[in-house]
Amino acid sequence: MKTLHILGFALLAAILVAVPLTSGNEYELRLFMLFLIYGVIAVGLNVLVGLTGLVSLGQAGLFALGAYTGAILAIRFGLDLVVASVGAALVAGLFGAALAYPSVRVRGVYLAVVTIAFGLIVENVAIEWQSLTGGTTGLTGIPGPNLFGYPLSGYAFYAVLAVTLFFATLATHNLKHSGYGRAMLAVAQSETAARSLGIGATGIRTLAFAVAAVTAGIAGSFYAFLNAYISPDIFTFSDSVRFLLMVILGGAASTFGPVLGAFILTYLPEVLQRFAEWQKFAYGALLLAVMFGLPGGILGTLGQLYARLRPGPRGVDPAEGIPAAETLAGREPASLETVGLTVRFGGLTALSAASVRVAPGEIHALIGPNGAGKSTFVNTISGFYRPSEGGVQLDGTDLAGRKVHGIARLGLARTFQNTELFGQMTVLENVLVGGFSHHSYGLPGAILRTPGFRREEAACRAAAIGLLDFVGLSEAANEQARFLPFGHQRRLEIARALATRPRLLLLDEPAAGLTTQEIDELEGMIRKIAGLGVSVLLIEHHVDLIMAVADTVTVLDYGQIIASDRPEAVQSDPRVIEAYFGGPSAILDEEAA
Amino acid sequence: MTTALQYTLSGLAIGGIYALVALGFHIMWSAAKAVNFAHGDTLMIGAVLAVMGVDAGLPLPLACLLAILGGALFGVVLERFAVRPFIGANASIGWMLTTIAVGIMAESLATMQFGGFSRPLPSPGVARAISIFGAGVYPQELVIPAVAVLTMIALHVMQRHTLVGRAMQAVAHNRQAAALMGIDVDRIVMFSFGLAALLGAGAGVLVAPVIQASASMGVLLGLKGFAVAIIGGITSGPGVVLAGLAFGVMEKFVEGYISTAAREIVGFSAMILVLLAFPQGLFGRREIFKV
Repeated sequence: MKTLHILGFALLAAILVAVPLTSGNEYELRLFMLFLIYGVIAVGLNVLVGLTGLVSLGQAGLFALGAYTGAILAIRFGLDLVVASVGAALVAGLFGAALAYPSVRVRGVYLAVVTIAFGLIVENVAIEWQSLTGGTTGLTGIPGPNLFGYPLSGYAFYAVLAVTLFFATLATHNLKHSGYGRAMLAVAQSETAARSLGIGATGIRTLAFAVAAVTAGIAGSFYAFLNAYISPDIFTFSDSVRFLLMVILGGAASTFGPVLGAFILTYLPEVLQRFAEWQKFAYGALLLAVMFGLPGGILGTLGQLYARLRPGPRGVDPAEGIPAAETLAGREPASLETVGLTVRFGGLTALSAASVRVAPGEIHALIGPNGAGKSTFVNTISGFYRPSEGGVQLDGTDLAGRKVHGIARLGLARTFQNTELFGQMTVLENVLVGGFSHHSYGLPGAILRTPGFRREEAACRAAAIGLLDFVGLSEAANEQARFLPFGHQRRLEIARALATRPRLLLLDEPAAGLTTQEIDELEGMIRKIAGLGVSVLLIEHHVDLIMAVADTVTVLDYGQIIASDRPEAVQSDPRVIEAYFGGPSAILDEEAA
Repeated sequence: MTTALQYTLSGLAIGGIYALVALGFHIMWSAAKAVNFAHGDTLMIGAVLAVMGVDAGLPLPLACLLAILGGALFGVVLERFAVRPFIGANASIGWMLTTIAVGIMAESLATMQFGGFSRPLPSPGVARAISIFGAGVYPQELVIPAVAVLTMIALHVMQRHTLVGRAMQAVAHNRQAAALMGIDVDRIVMFSFGLAALLGAGAGVLVAPVIQASASMGVLLGLKGFAVAIIGGITSGPGVVLAGLAFGVMEKFVEGYISTAAREIVGFSAMILVLLAFPQGLFGRREIFKV
């Protein structure tokens, strides 16, 4: 695949150089320049739609913001192409980041509707604010593209556009193949798991919105210079649909898909002209056909085909990794203490004044019948629920008010009762995501692929391979996680959690659904994890496993802690026996008498 | 004072249309957790078919009835071929784009058949304006909000007291459990989309005499209907109707005192703000998040 990408970039560069040399007339070149502009929008939108899984139907609004900002800066202040476009990128980027805020509260269709509303608002502000935007007549007299006061020839402007598209494509490609890109995919596929690995989902979404907005803003400014005239009717809802379609048609999440999609949809009206009045109908029909025939887009479908025809190796060589012990070295196991932890849901008290202490380095088991409050306990400690009363301390640090990803970054990792893997990512990528919070390269480093970035990525990969070997999955490293058998999925979750280099690991019912043999293996694995200097809090039903592996057992019943002691002592505790098997009943007593 | 009353009355009329469209979104969302983004075009189909029916010499009531049935059929067919294949996929982008695509096709077909211009639907409801405390309104405009409220009540009764209504609620709550109880989920969803489209086309027939019928009338009305559904809380029938009426009145005031463009700015900004403050809408039920 890597060679294919290099070939793709070479091909793109060749086309961008060849077109102006061969284009017959000015109209042809202008149309191609329009494609370059749309390509920039589509490439940026791909980061939002393809990687982060968020739908924006308001991209025309950001495009308009860029176009008007660029035009106004050029007309009123006489700024040149680059400065005006930077201004346009800033304004659009700010609005884009603001647009990300609603995604904190709403998802899916709701978010799509917010973006639609945003696009309509921009369009109508452009109509209403006549003194600035010229109202419905629009802005005329936008100066020709110029740089440092020197006017650019048509070919020089073309070069600016071509270089911008090339580097925008390269930048988003590099972004995708960095920790940021993996975090985006992770947030899209399981936000819950991503947060538990120390990824701030809101920050990642804001980044994605900002990238999509900045590119749309730059494209808008270029458009204003190319067209020399802009008006509100160029930036309508149907344009937003078209931008989204470019990404979907070409192949969301693929590197060159959006460029291809932009190309097709720029030239499509030329082709559809022969349908005359059926033009719009044909456009709708095409959109429908794409959704049914090529749900992965053109390049997405081709990519799948390629992967099937020339499958890569299924696993990786464990020798490429560094041992798990080395990855997890140099940290102290953490203690965890809850004091009077109480959680109420409406009138129901799921957890009542639970005080538990997990000593550093121990394997602490939490058991209890169904509905005892175990899951509530785990979810409160890891920050998904807020306690009604009481608090949690990790190594003396109060966790009150901290977000899930903040708690994860303090060194608390967890697995999930219903496994929460990133199903469409490979096994290895799942573990790589776990290393996100340890990346010290910033966004520029990732986009420019600096030596520091390469070094860290290599180290992250080596650590992940070692962890896969630790849980025995290196042979399946390149498979998609959703195709793993259930038992392996559980192990992958453990490896992924270990990749955050935790000091305390929460295992939420890791034996549920496993075979006896798998449970035996799990027992060994839990011991080894504790041996690597990680405190383990094990939530389990499986009594044999707990008695074999735990140093301390805490028993929950009806939200209250009824025992907390060494396994043998708990086993013979009358209250525990009563909770599990029921107490002596009056009827049985009478029968016995 | 008269101006305020005038704005209120005509606001209630257009608000009644939003309410009917939003009720459709409520019904579809409840059944399928998916909606028809071409729902505005269902309204357009109702209006345009009614005008074409009258053109063809049909008596007005028959033309209206056929137009509404035509709209409902559109809803049923669209659900079967554009929505159902994509339900259950974790991203909603599939049915969003397919329904938008069908909307584009419907609009383009309508433009070809109907022409690119606007025409009114003749109706006794707009034959003569009546005066209420100096504010002039058509009887048609008074009928629209009444129809919206009555529809809401009827829908409520149906959801509570009929077998199909209860089945709709069961499907809304849990598709799989409903299917296990012997409910034909696909048919319930199809019925819901048909019913929603029926209301949408009905709204189109009702509004066609007041604003003119045209092939492009659906998009903005549909988007506003969706905005209203979100403001009111898409899970609450009474909520969306109330929000629709209020939205209509607000629009008329903004339009009257400022401008048409300001109307859209205020309306859609209101939607975003409501959504930020109340992610479930003003009257919607909260969806519980479970790890």
